[in-house]
Amino acid sequence: MKQLLKIIEAIRPTFDEGGKLGILKPVFGALEHFFFAPSDTTIGAPHIRDPLDLKRFMSMVIISVVPCAFAAFYFFGWRFLAMVIVSYASGLAVEALFAMVRKEGINEGFFVTGILFPLILPPGTPLWMVGLGVAFGVFIGKELFGGTGRNVFNPALVGRCFLALAYPKAMSASYMKPSHDLLGCLLFKWLPPGTGVDAVTVATPLSVAKGGEYCSLSHLLFGSVSGSAGETSAILIILGGVFLLLTRVANWRTVVSILGSFLLLAGILHHGQPERFGPIMWHLCAGGLLFGTFFMATDPVTGPTTNSGKWLYGIIIGSVTVLIRNFTGYVEGVTFAILLGNITAPILDEIVFKVRLRRLASEE
Amino acid sequence: MKFRGGHNILLQGRPEGMIKLMPEPEVLYLPLRSRRFSFGELCVEEGQQVNGGDVLARDLDNYSVPLLAPRAGRVRLTEREGHIVLEDVARLAEHAEIDDEDLPHIAQEMGASGIKRYRLLTLGAWQFFYDAYSGSLPDPLGRPQAIIVSTLSLEPFLARGDAQLHNRLLNFTRGLEQLQSLLEYQPIYLVMPDIKSEFANLIRNHIRGYASVKMVSIPLTYPYDDFSILARRLGLKRSEGPVWSVRTEGVLAVDRALTLSKPCLVRIISIGGTGVNYSTHISVMPGYPIQRIRDKYIFEPVSRIINGGILTGERLGPEALGLDTECRGLTVLPELQDREFLGFIRPGWDRSCYAACYLSSLRDKFRERLSTGLHGEGRPCVSCNFCEDVCPAGITPHLIHKYLYRDLIEEAEQARVDLCIECGLCSYVCPSKIDLRSQIIDSKVLIAKEKEEIRKEQLRQEELRKQEEARKQAEENSK
Ligand code: SF4
Ligand code: SF4
Repeated sequence: MKQLLKIIEAIRPTFDEGGKLGILKPVFGALEHFFFAPSDTTIGAPHIRDPLDLKRFMSMVIISVVPCAFAAFYFFGWRFLAMVIVSYASGLAVEALFAMVRKEGINEGFFVTGILFPLILPPGTPLWMVGLGVAFGVFIGKELFGGTGRNVFNPALVGRCFLALAYPKAMSASYMKPSHDLLGCLLFKWLPPGTGVDAVTVATPLSVAKGGEYCSLSHLLFGSVSGSAGETSAILIILGGVFLLLTRVANWRTVVSILGSFLLLAGILHHGQPERFGPIMWHLCAGGLLFGTFFMATDPVTGPTTNSGKWLYGIIIGSVTVLIRNFTGYVEGVTFAILLGNITAPILDEIVFKVRLRRLASEE
Repeated sequence: MKFRGGHNILLQGRPEGMIKLMPEPEVLYLPLRSRRFSFGELCVEEGQQVNGGDVLARDLDNYSVPLLAPRAGRVRLTEREGHIVLEDVARLAEHAEIDDEDLPHIAQEMGASGIKRYRLLTLGAWQFFYDAYSGSLPDPLGRPQAIIVSTLSLEPFLARGDAQLHNRLLNFTRGLEQLQSLLEYQPIYLVMPDIKSEFANLIRNHIRGYASVKMVSIPLTYPYDDFSILARRLGLKRSEGPVWSVRTEGVLAVDRALTLSKPCLVRIISIGGTGVNYSTHISVMPGYPIQRIRDKYIFEPVSRIINGGILTGERLGPEALGLDTECRGLTVLPELQDREFLGFIRPGWDRSCYAACYLSSLRDKFRERLSTGLHGEGRPCVSCNFCEDVCPAGITPHLIHKYLYRDLIEEAEQARVDLCIECGLCSYVCPSKIDLRSQIIDSKVLIAKEKEEIRKEQLRQEELRKQEEARKQAEENSK
């Protein structure tokens, strides 16, 4: 460790302002701070600070999706690893470029986007599409707004939305049947058995359901169904999600209100016309609802900050998802619902703040 | 009572309840400034011999609160910048500097309670009083709507009320009675952790019949002992007059000044934090040389000495030679020097965090060894909302931060920066390491300045108008 620190100190001048590689300073800084926390101290009161920093904060999200990522390896083969690598490489390039232009440090927010993005893509998505999508998402969804903390939309969802609209055929052709072997694809299988590179379209539970056929709940729970890479196993998602809630990185209000409003509305529909609308538990576990709820909608930056705002935000996302799923031609509505929620979040906040400030104005 | 926000930071170095005597000093360095006071009006001359209890200087902006000589000695004014130095310090019988000739005059003007108040001021007990809303020194002749007495001090680490009360319960209850005698019918609220405890019963038995004290119990969470929070929670309205507030040491000082007619020269302060070898309370006088305390208690070579608590205290630089008159405790923290390797992926068994992001949340509560480290890089706000959750004043620090970032001072004012009690919790919890507290304080100062300017401008306009009118009048008269 000492050695590493020495090396870093030795090459620092090269990357300083005016140094030979001064332009790469943000990249150097990010690497340096990745290995060694800065030794900055507080200036005035409060003299101590919570040990939690943004790196740790974001690492929590990454830890929570690790089970889902492993499930993706298991079901869809090691090709998924390539997707993750491409996603990180391409997104980081965009992020680093902007950091250099803006002369700011590289922000941790990207590490979350980089792993979440491949998890919400169909496992067979061509690698160039992965790279393009994440670059688009980071560029349009985040950098144009000024970087992490100032973005309105969730960059991973923007990327996915872009791919879904720009290459709908290729996207829906990229769903694969998961492996059903005992060891799955863990033994270095690139793709699940029986799927060629030119994959045939495989229906996801939601698209099958349009024809009135519901797959069994246990398959949905364990994840042996077709779908986006990370969203197939409800159990693992809930596991990661609960972890996030316990660490307070994700706010429980958002989760409860999305799932609550979703279940309520789906329940009413199913009760009214059971032959037309699917059962609620099935709806809950199918598709990207759980994944979106736990990992996408709870993103603090793009959701409302206020607690009351979070309740409303959740209700909007939950009910819009039900409406899109059941009443439109789209099979999956979570992406759009959350993006819609992202748009309304600042408005909700504004309303809540208005009310709060009025109440505060009467305080002495 | 209902509170919101708040958070207890558990860290090592909590002072124990004992009180140690420090050896008598030979030299005292009395700072001319403290948090609230600035003793600009000198009352002694170079080389003058003074007795314990003599007035060295006064702060004319704060009802002439005196700076008393804690011991007898010879005055040096120019020796050290910003300090009055007392040399050849000796402990002689203290005497109280009250002009007996003045007394009948005061008694005639303000009655018996007026004399008492005058005594409090001249004997150095008035310094322990705070205005609950502004934290400043209240007007000694004012008429408070209530007095809040708090036995708590929840900020780590300030002198604890229970340590100060040790063996002095009688003085405390007598002090409460004396406080009562300053009032007509206004209530005294006595704030304590548990009003059913044995200790509370003792107090109740002692004061039975003499003082009408309402006991209030509050949860032991920082900063619920803050006076403006307490006043708000007790439903006291700012418009109905000032609220005086005072802590344990203040009540004891009142007792000393009014019952014994002796000046209050010695304080009990805490010495704690992770940088001291032995955390305890010490009994010292203002002006006590910091170097001596340092030699005795501080073992960390590179450490920061804080005058006050860890969250709101001020750093004592090398230019500060002695304790100031308002010091309630010294806290010592080691300065962070090492850089942690891969710090953010460590399990963190010994790290406690507001958001439970470390493994330590699986274990029982423990006290952590914290340093002055920032523990991370500054980043833009990610709207995690921790600061709002933790804020005891019910305002929204991150919203104010965003307003200030865009220079929207008026909006910040509407978001009620003035309600902030400067507890520092928002800065503490922020994972983006934004210094919310100081930003909010800066904006408060700015807003106050602007208001002052507006007021001045109005006065000027008024003046002009009057002049104009007078001129017209004169013209008309001459016609
Ligand atoms: S805004 Fe003020 S009162 Fe609220 S947490 Fe921050 S410092 Fe404390
Ligand atoms: S704690 Fe910091 S990052 Fe979180 S909302 Fe407040 S200012 Fe923003």
